[in-house]
Amino acid sequence: MYEATATDPSGTRPRVLLSMEGVGKSYGSFAALADVDLSISRGSIHGLLGENGAGKSTLVGIISGQKQRNAGRVVLDGNDIERADVKSMEGAGVFLVTQEPMIIDHLSAAENLMLGVWPSRRGMVDWRKLNADAERILADTDIPAGARAGSLGAVARRKINILRAMFSGGTLIILDEPTAALTVEDRDQLFDFMRRLKGDGVTFIFISHYNDEILEICDAVTVLRDGVVAGSADDLSGMTSEHLSELVLGRGLELFERKRSDPRVTAEILEIRDVRGGALNVPHLDIKPGEVVGFAGLPGAGAKELARALFGLVGVESGTLRIPGHAASSPLPRTPGDALRAGIAYLSDDRRGDGAVSQMTVGQNISLSSLDRISHRGFLNSGDERRLSAHYFDAMEIKAAGADSVVDTLSGGNQQKVCLARVLATEPRLLILDEPTRGIDVGVKQDVLRIIDRLTDTGVCVILVSTDTDELVRSVDRICLFADGGIVSELHGERITSERLRELMGARRLELPGSDDR
Amino acid sequence: MTTTTTASVPARSVAKSGEPRTILAWVLQNVVWIWLVVLVALFGLFNEFFFTMFNLQNIMVQATVLGMLGLAMCLPLLVAEIDLSIPANMGFSSAVGAIAMSQFGLPWVGGALLGVGIATLIGFFNGLCITRLRMVSLIQSLAMMIILQGALLAMTRGKTLTQLSDGYVWIGQANVLGGWPIMPLVFVAAAIALAVLLRRTVFGRSIYAVGGNPVASNSAGIRVNAVKIRTFTLAGFLAGIAGFLLGSWQMAITSNQGDSFLLYAIAAPIIGGVSVFGGRGNVLGVVGGVLLLTVIQVGLAIVSVPSFYVGMIGGLMIFIAVAIDALRVRMFS
Repeated sequence: MYEATATDPSGTRPRVLLSMEGVGKSYGSFAALADVDLSISRGSIHGLLGENGAGKSTLVGIISGQKQRNAGRVVLDGNDIERADVKSMEGAGVFLVTQEPMIIDHLSAAENLMLGVWPSRRGMVDWRKLNADAERILADTDIPAGARAGSLGAVARRKINILRAMFSGGTLIILDEPTAALTVEDRDQLFDFMRRLKGDGVTFIFISHYNDEILEICDAVTVLRDGVVAGSADDLSGMTSEHLSELVLGRGLELFERKRSDPRVTAEILEIRDVRGGALNVPHLDIKPGEVVGFAGLPGAGAKELARALFGLVGVESGTLRIPGHAASSPLPRTPGDALRAGIAYLSDDRRGDGAVSQMTVGQNISLSSLDRISHRGFLNSGDERRLSAHYFDAMEIKAAGADSVVDTLSGGNQQKVCLARVLATEPRLLILDEPTRGIDVGVKQDVLRIIDRLTDTGVCVILVSTDTDELVRSVDRICLFADGGIVSELHGERITSERLRELMGARRLELPGSDDR
Repeated sequence: MTTTTTASVPARSVAKSGEPRTILAWVLQNVVWIWLVVLVALFGLFNEFFFTMFNLQNIMVQATVLGMLGLAMCLPLLVAEIDLSIPANMGFSSAVGAIAMSQFGLPWVGGALLGVGIATLIGFFNGLCITRLRMVSLIQSLAMMIILQGALLAMTRGKTLTQLSDGYVWIGQANVLGGWPIMPLVFVAAAIALAVLLRRTVFGRSIYAVGGNPVASNSAGIRVNAVKIRTFTLAGFLAGIAGFLLGSWQMAITSNQGDSFLLYAIAAPIIGGVSVFGGRGNVLGVVGGVLLLTVIQVGLAIVSVPSFYVGMIGGLMIFIAVAIDALRVRMFS
């Protein structure tokens, strides 16, 4: 496939569409990218692989004009690119299609497709032309031009984004994890679509966390690690998934596997009783100290809802909770503040909206839920704060210039570590983790799971809400399966297998690992 | 397959090319202060009276009331809200105190405290409205501003209140050490106190967190609404003190006291780097913004720019300051 497109039909234009030489970007003394060479052939799909924080986002930010490089040379289509912004790069045909599709739900597919380039006549939108153009462009897809964008599925939304980029003159389209929320069938459909566009001469940069996707769709690959090119290949025929993982991690990947235990019930048990309200109905749930309980279930089945109710984020009509070390049971906390004081901590699945305070520093974020502990009469003790932040900064192995770096400048996976550090710094008795490994790369995932595993040695009760069945199976002692707001079955010990869990969850197909529900 | 002609660009060039940018970054970060120095030099060049001790004292006095308002205004901005009623609150609350003194024979201390108390309550009420009632602060405070302006006019019947006792006007008139006014000390003290509050206390940290990301702050255990209410209350308190100082310094309270301060009170924190989107900014920046605006006002008067042009030129200077600030945000974020 690669060879077929290597010779440009016109014969005169250079085969290399984009080349970068010695490109670097640093924030203060922290080099996010250093000395990156990259060469992308016209009409190819070029994979970009790497852990969170490896520099993928920075690199595509530079290519798309969102970020300015500090060093190096970028040549697009034979032209040196000096200072560029998004507008000028789009003018040159470079478009970035982000993870969150930029779609306006209440407009039609046609209107979304033409967003910003609506055909007009005498200052008025030329609706006839708009719809005719849109229908022509959408003819090859199964998307009806008049459909409300909000009613479209995830793959259709991504297609619209890609088509919009093409329609606006895009020749180099950067796809940032386009498969993140797609099922297997949707993904295959998207890949077919990309192959067809490639045949029409479009060049793609394809970012993914999944080796198999890279091997399936890409013609060439560049792997980044710690801001430098760890390896690249112009031909993937001899490439294996293991080899890619090694390039990404710099070592062989060991998937984390928790040594399942059935903790002795000598110590006190965490008791959850009679939680009712909203769609929830959970009469009875016990968690032993040091136990990791997985909450599984389809979206809306109650797993996430119970997790949030236990932290006081959603109100319930009734429900009590007894935490080990407390004499009596008490009603569920009514606010997150109450929950934290009771020894309950919660890590949200919505990292962007409900994660870190992005313009504050790493250290300030780590201490944010523990301010009472590092203050006296309302005054912060800066020494205590530094020690607390430094401790968790090191323990989490956060990749940043230091604890006083602004969180904004960190990669997604490292931001997630900051959030986890904030939660752990409260020294909770019950730790609730909602999709703690979603959208972070496989290496950091194992780090996070190991940290949770070690934590249970100290007797912390852990609730792990996850839609990633395989990961859940590897990292918990027990799984509670939710449906209709209640726990419908439990799996213990040997009986925890991916097959069994999928079977229990019914005929409905599960989403891909690491996917987000839309 | 990459062409190797320029592949020898060393990775270390990252550090080298970083240096001019860090200097530029420093300049843009401190643009308020640089701009201030430039303007002081310029005004001094045009009229050497600008550099006299008397004028320095004048600038400090002028900066005091605007400074208190700027500090008050930056608080709602830091939690990603706004309180347009702050200058109107200043005028209204001081008038209530003054009328209580003249009509009901309240001693001046009581009058001053009553004014500050009323202002604090109004701030508290604004906080309640935007949290418990979920009113949009821009419109809520606009309505409150109009109400307070109207109430001031109604109370004074359009007349200027001048029967302020000697005690009340003392702080605005008192000098020490051969002509140094003591009123600016109140501003200095307030600025230091607020800086300590924002940097060193749990409340201050919570203000930045709430302004930066209210949803995440809530999940982190911060009582977002309580922080906002306390922030608005504190802003009201500072407006009350500003009202007392303005009345004391002018020895009068007009029927539209405070109205002319609104735009400057908003401009000062923003020029000083306080983000209108919340979570960013500090007291030192506000002080810089206040001094800059005051120097522009006083300077234009001193170099005898015809009064018809003062507004326009002053506006232009503010415009340049804000444009440079926008440039800074664009380049370094």
